[in-house]
Amino acid sequence: MTENANQEIETLLADLWQRHLPTLHRRLAILERAATAASTGVLAEAVCEEALSIAHKLSGNLGMFGYQQAGDIASEIEQVFRAPTPKKLIQLTALTQKLRQALAARL
Amino acid sequence: MRRILIIDDEDDIREVAALSLEATAGWQVFTASSGAKGIELAIAERPDAILMDVMMPDADGPTTFQNMQQNPAIANIPVLLLTAKVQGVDQRRFAGLGVAAILLKPFDPLTLAEQISEVLGWNEHPPVQQDPSTPAA
Repeated sequence: MTENANQEIETLLADLWQRHLPTLHRRLAILERAATAASTGVLAEAVCEEALSIAHKLSGNLGMFGYQQAGDIASEIEQVFRAPTPKKLIQLTALTQKLRQALAARL
Repeated sequence: MRRILIIDDEDDIREVAALSLEATAGWQVFTASSGAKGIELAIAERPDAILMDVMMPDADGPTTFQNMQQNPAIANIPVLLLTAKVQGVDQRRFAGLGVAAILLKPFDPLTLAEQISEVLGWNEHPPVQQDPSTPAA
């Protein structure tokens, strides 16, 4: 693989990350609202499904941008929404905080 | 030159995957944002392989694959499903489908072409280069 190809990809990833930031902020906010709803015991199915979809996308995308740790946290969040139990749902607030912290330097 | 169709509802994924395959392997890449559009493009372009996301709104990857199997024009194009982690239930569902491979997200843009070539056996069987001086049969 040429150095040019490598550089082209790195430049695209950096540019895409900047363009992706508004979407990322929106997605984090949705996850945090779902976590808050879960902590009060009022997690509607539609909210749960949306949060599951978002967590799934983040678990796939963040690693591509080089944020593997954040991607792994998103995957943990996905698992909670995929099979929500009262015991797992109370972990969501801490997990979403952890996710935001993992990305804090680049948000 | 290999020709690849990428089907994914995420703009970023399509963009990174396309550039990755173009820049690192010189492949020609087509992209579609949904299963339905992907099927139309597959029929029009007859790519050498299709890289398709699993979780998409409307028709997901496995459903789109099954729809492709109903069309003889594109049924034999190898399909690689792209998914973020594979759950136990998903593994069983994917195993019975007949796709060529499952690739996990996140993918490494620097090695995606190599990964695809390996699972499809393209390294052993590179595309035949046409000799312009040889008359057509």
